[in-house]
Amino acid sequence: MMSNKLYEIISRVMKIDISSISDELGPKTIENWTSFNGYVLLNELETGFNVKFTIDEAMDVENIADIKRHLTNKGITIDG
Amino acid sequence: MPEKNSLSDYINKSNEITKVFDKKIKISLLSSFTINGLSEILKVKSAERHVSCIVYEAPYNQYSQEILNENSDLYKFLPDITFLILDTRNIFGEIFRFPYSISHLEKVKIVENKINEVKNLLDKYIEKSNSKIIVTKLNIPSFSPNGIFESKVEYNFSNMIEDFNKQLTENYLNSENIFVYDFDKFVAKNGEDNIFNYSQFFFGDLKISMEFLPALGQDLMKYVIGYLGITKKCIVLDLDNTLWGGIIGEDGFNGINLGPEPPGNAFMEFQRVLLSLHQRGIILAINSKNNFEDAIKVIKEHPHMILREEHFAAMCINWNDKVTNMKQIIKEINIGSDSLVFIDDDPVNREFVGSIFPEILVVNLSDDPSSYVLEIENLIDFSVLKITDEDRNRGKMYSKQKKVIELEKTSVDLQTFLNQLNLKISIKDVNEFTLPRVSQLILKTNQFNLTTKRYQQNDIQEMIEDSNFLVTCVQVEDKFGDNGITGVFIIKKENKNEWRIDTFLMSCRIMGRDIEKGIMTHIINKAKENNVQKINADFIPTQKNKPIENFLSDHDFKKEGQSWTYNIKSKIKFPEYLRIELE
Repeated sequence: MMSNKLYEIISRVMKIDISSISDELGPKTIENWTSFNGYVLLNELETGFNVKFTIDEAMDVENIADIKRHLTNKGITIDG
Repeated sequence: MPEKNSLSDYINKSNEITKVFDKKIKISLLSSFTINGLSEILKVKSAERHVSCIVYEAPYNQYSQEILNENSDLYKFLPDITFLILDTRNIFGEIFRFPYSISHLEKVKIVENKINEVKNLLDKYIEKSNSKIIVTKLNIPSFSPNGIFESKVEYNFSNMIEDFNKQLTENYLNSENIFVYDFDKFVAKNGEDNIFNYSQFFFGDLKISMEFLPALGQDLMKYVIGYLGITKKCIVLDLDNTLWGGIIGEDGFNGINLGPEPPGNAFMEFQRVLLSLHQRGIILAINSKNNFEDAIKVIKEHPHMILREEHFAAMCINWNDKVTNMKQIIKEINIGSDSLVFIDDDPVNREFVGSIFPEILVVNLSDDPSSYVLEIENLIDFSVLKITDEDRNRGKMYSKQKKVIELEKTSVDLQTFLNQLNLKISIKDVNEFTLPRVSQLILKTNQFNLTTKRYQQNDIQEMIEDSNFLVTCVQVEDKFGDNGITGVFIIKKENKNEWRIDTFLMSCRIMGRDIEKGIMTHIINKAKENNVQKINADFIPTQKNKPIENFLSDHDFKKEGQSWTYNIKSKIKFPEYLRIELE
């Protein structure tokens, strides 16, 4: 469930197909992952999951796996 | 409250806009911080109103350079509107955190320097560009190291910013091109802690949070609406459960909810906000399924009604369906359907009216009457860049109009009616007092408008000063009173022998009284006096100016190619029932 929501947000912000999202993708591999879109992604994840990222967490994100790790640490269940 | 759509929704939607609309706006964004996403928001919100919006975003925090360099991309872009979005941190620098590290005198000096810097930029920009510029007031931060003692400190930091804002506002109070946006009110409405998010500020120099950027875009759209004149002019209202609680036909005169106690007070307050809009020129009308006698008794006699008969330009209270009534209202008020807002508590009526008239703004009223007031307050579609005396008196004029319609109904024929009206037309050169109203008519008149050329006030000013143009306005009075300035024509003197009617328009309020015959007679006679041989004119058809399509042929203009021409032979007589005064 949560993974679907996560992927929907990533897909909406980064304009990529849900099916093409994988853990290792990040600013280097997703064309639309500019620094600004990176903020937008974190902001919409915060709103979507009702969580807050610390500035350290935000700066630490280099790929999707990092996002999953931070969300898991905040008690969000990520499937798959 | 943040908007339902997130920033990424706007970014995606803006990429999906493919349609090019007739109405266009070019906007420049200048800012002292990151406002990424604002251009997409403006594009989407413009497209929702059938306007194509092109945006130029100046490079990050380079607004001064862009304005000072006359060869910058900003000037090349030729914007219609420029937003200069400033923030207190950026303007005051280190002083923002340490305002009490300097003396009183230094504080005064700093404010003076800062206001002069901004004024210089604005003055320079207005001199070199044709754009309107909207500059934001500075927000006053709630925190002070002095805490509650702050208000005991003479010329405290809040006072410094208030001083800055006051000088900025007062300096441009009468400017036609520089507008001051109450950013502090935007912050007050939405809350400083919501607007300013420290995490986003540290991370990306965002000083307006992503959640509230769409709300800012919504506020700035008011300037786009005002600039383009796509303003709504009339609110059409249902009665039962809209202006009062309950159903008059079932609950009766004493059973409806309207009064100082809840829930009746919500309806009273709703009526008060409608009256405040009416007093500034918004027309009100009623579209209600009811027995006329039941409803009019409430309107006339209920002790807690705020809106009375004289506030409504049209009252369709009967058992016809809402669309039939809407057509009747449009005809009676003589207004474009795209100028209407429809407010009805019944979703079925809203759906029906919206499906037949997609151009009408149908308000999705909530089920809760206590939110009606806010829903009206949040509508941005009444925005205008200026409010004239004609606007303020519009309500009275429509009330008068109802009497004219009654006279027309009782007159045996049109000539008798026109004779009884005692029409007087005053034709006057446009001056500084009439210019704002003339500009407004030129920007807003759709139906009786020969060329629908839209000129901004400074364009008109240039024509007034140019001896090759005659810029003239028309004031119409009748036995019921003064209709105000309701007509404009602009003549271009093409050469010694030929004139061209560049603009000819009349407010729909005075259509159908042959006023246009009087004005055309005046133009022809004036041309004759100046030994002009030919008057040329163009009819540029639009979706809305059908009422004027036969105007030229009716006045003996002959079509020559794309244009129309009138060969002047002799003076012609004014219609007998018109008195003409030249000023």
